[in-house]
Amino acid sequence: MDMTQARSLFIDEANSLLADMERFLLEIEAGDATSAQHIDAIFRAAHTIKGSAGLFGFDHIVAFTHNVESVLDKVRSGQLALDGDLINLMLQCQDHTASLIRQLEDESSGIDLVTGTALIKQLHLYLDPAPVVAAAPTAVLTDTEHWQLDVHYGEDVFRDGMDPLSQLHYLQSLGELQQVRLLPHWPAPAAFDPESCYLQLKFELASTASKQQIADVFEFVQDSSKVQISPPQQVKASLAALPTVDEKLGTLLVNAGAVTERELQSALSSQKEHDNNQALGQVLVDQGAVSSEMVAVALDKQKATEHKRPADFQFLKVEARKLDELINLVGELVTAGAGIDVLVQEIANEKLKESFSVLTGLLEQIRDGALGLRMVQVGESFSRLRRIVRDVSKELGKDIELTVEGADTELDKSMVEKLSDPLMHIVRNALDHGIESKELRLYKGKPAQGQLKLSACHEAGSVVIEIADDGAGLNIERIRAKAIEKNIISADQELAEEDIYKLIFAPGFSTAAAVTNLSGRGVGMDVVKRNIEELRGQIQISSVPDQGTVFRIRLPLTLAIIDGFLVSVAGTHLVLPLNMVQECIEFQMSQQDNERNYLDLRGEVLPFIRLRQLFELAGPPQNRENIVVVQYGKHRAGLVVDHLHGELQAVIKPLNTLFRSLRGIGGYTILGSGNVGLILDIPQLVQFATTLENQSFVH
Amino acid sequence: MDEQFNKDPLSHQHFLTFLLRDECFGISISSVKEIIEYDNVTPIPLMPDFVKGVLNLRGDVVPVIDLSIRFNKSATEISKRTCIVILEILFEEQIVTIGAVVDSVSEVIEINMDNIEPAPTFGARIRAQFILGVANVGEQFVILLRGERVLSLDEMAAIIEKVAD
Repeated sequence: MDMTQARSLFIDEANSLLADMERFLLEIEAGDATSAQHIDAIFRAAHTIKGSAGLFGFDHIVAFTHNVESVLDKVRSGQLALDGDLINLMLQCQDHTASLIRQLEDESSGIDLVTGTALIKQLHLYLDPAPVVAAAPTAVLTDTEHWQLDVHYGEDVFRDGMDPLSQLHYLQSLGELQQVRLLPHWPAPAAFDPESCYLQLKFELASTASKQQIADVFEFVQDSSKVQISPPQQVKASLAALPTVDEKLGTLLVNAGAVTERELQSALSSQKEHDNNQALGQVLVDQGAVSSEMVAVALDKQKATEHKRPADFQFLKVEARKLDELINLVGELVTAGAGIDVLVQEIANEKLKESFSVLTGLLEQIRDGALGLRMVQVGESFSRLRRIVRDVSKELGKDIELTVEGADTELDKSMVEKLSDPLMHIVRNALDHGIESKELRLYKGKPAQGQLKLSACHEAGSVVIEIADDGAGLNIERIRAKAIEKNIISADQELAEEDIYKLIFAPGFSTAAAVTNLSGRGVGMDVVKRNIEELRGQIQISSVPDQGTVFRIRLPLTLAIIDGFLVSVAGTHLVLPLNMVQECIEFQMSQQDNERNYLDLRGEVLPFIRLRQLFELAGPPQNRENIVVVQYGKHRAGLVVDHLHGELQAVIKPLNTLFRSLRGIGGYTILGSGNVGLILDIPQLVQFATTLENQSFVH
Repeated sequence: MDEQFNKDPLSHQHFLTFLLRDECFGISISSVKEIIEYDNVTPIPLMPDFVKGVLNLRGDVVPVIDLSIRFNKSATEISKRTCIVILEILFEEQIVTIGAVVDSVSEVIEINMDNIEPAPTFGARIRAQFILGVANVGEQFVILLRGERVLSLDEMAAIIEKVAD
């Protein structure tokens, strides 16, 4: 067994368990859930971390988590109430455990013994006081069972970095060891190798743990050693008591705790290997995994069951790199498909067309499926923010309630990752500068408790994430003064309200009078804006004095492939995101000569952009032009183009560094004809056109 | 003379020569990926003149630059012999593919490094930092270019940014 790999697996597992633990604790604290299930999950997380750490001999982690686990066990059994103080303590313990785990990765940092000891002391306050509680363990012992264990260690155990002693230590945490007999197999003195292990241990374990739990202790020596665990009589009773479900014999035995998953697998493979018709039960008995009576009980049970299948969700961990490769391939497939499409149209054979359209349909499904694999719920990054809100509001002495909406909105995984920093920054800013102190809020006639709302939703083919607070709002005068002071704008520059808000994204801008340790630590809002633009998104601010500020982040659904609508202007092919296209109308001759850039669309004003003019493309306007009406968010605009070519699937290729200053174009795609099409970034395009028009007024 | 070349491979280099407005230029073949005829270049809106557009090179989108304009001369007129030399340039520790439009491609020549003279400080009417040196081949001068300078992405992007503002 590769130790470094096992170790990194442990660290990985521990971190995800710690994250779960944190989330559940916060949910219980917020009153969203008080269910026993949550407490169970928290307990299990602490328990598993302790167990795995024991296997590796990380004694300091075992020692610490043992205390945490004991307190949680009391909570679980109802002897302790999980109140605010205890949750607080548990969160601190969670942090400390996380720091212990981090220390494993980065050995240069020392172990923080002071915090650990202080926390253990606090935990003991919960453990010690009641004598009734102390009596509980003995009561439990009376109905424990005696497992028979026979561990024949392989010679390589020490060389693999495993220590039988630490396993015994750990087993003691599961139950009581009895009648431990040591049966060493000493080799001839000449063949003795001090680095080899010649031990065999036979002992009884009094424990309520399942066979799996016990077998887990030996997980890392299983390859080199022979481990036999015989269940006590009691398991038979639990097997008989299992609810009636349709399971295979092996699964039944595993569920009852009589056989471990691993023993079952090896029995199944040996059954296959020898290709005999020996029953699985017999193979298991022969292997010494289970007694024949146990199999008999299980068989009886199996006969009694009906054919009902339990439905459960199964997850599969896949390397992100493999997914990326798959999506790249799907991208190539889509491009190749577009090439064939052009040929099929040329050949104009009905049968060919028909079968190709079936292929195209499947291709679309594969594309959506492949992209869907990368989609994760935004909630993941929201839950991290929950902790920040809690900690920061405590630190600042503000009472802030966080509400979350639309946490199940899905977004590309890579985006969720890149989004977490900007979100954290905006939230910190809102907590620190946005929401006022309690006194000030009461003085202003607002409720003492501040509100912070995080929400996510789909809107016209993009995902919108809003961070709204009910704080003081942005102070236009102060922002202006600061921007002038920092030479970002000149003193006589007139700016619209919205443009003033945008100044806070300018590099080197920070309005906070004093730099607190929360926000204003150098990483400015300019980084937030840049991060969001890197994701092809936009950020908008709206603010009402004394009522609050809203940050709206609009992001494209995916970074890889979009459904597009192909148009052309003066021979240049342009692709619009299909989900923003509302309708196409003919551009009337009568309006063409007109200087104004808006028209009447069924009684509503529709401003339009003449792409030929905007992009300074050559050639006079065509006789017949078209307008594509696009909508994003609440904005609607028309784009004047020459020809409409229809839908296509566009694989987005990012722009070359050379074109980094290009506005309104988000990327390229390769068309079926082999030409390059330019993908329009409509919000950016409209903004660009607006800026150009405003500039023309100034000059 | 030829014998001397073969003995010491470091003393000579191969250059691809091409014509640009009747002048002969050379560029080290180590940076030349391929040569294709001028076709299917998609213009990019709002770009300065020296950016001809982009090209689909078997699935990769490659920007195409008009070298003549980059040297402050008039634009290359597209004819039958117009070619795009696809070059691989090192930029920020990554290899970037870029296309350069030339009037016609001539040949690959071997030049002894000792025969390369330093660039004239003036007179070539091309920025001196673009030029590696000048070699006399046969009866003709060949101006040898520094690919990474002539097609410096950073510098070109900065020019584009200025134009865009």
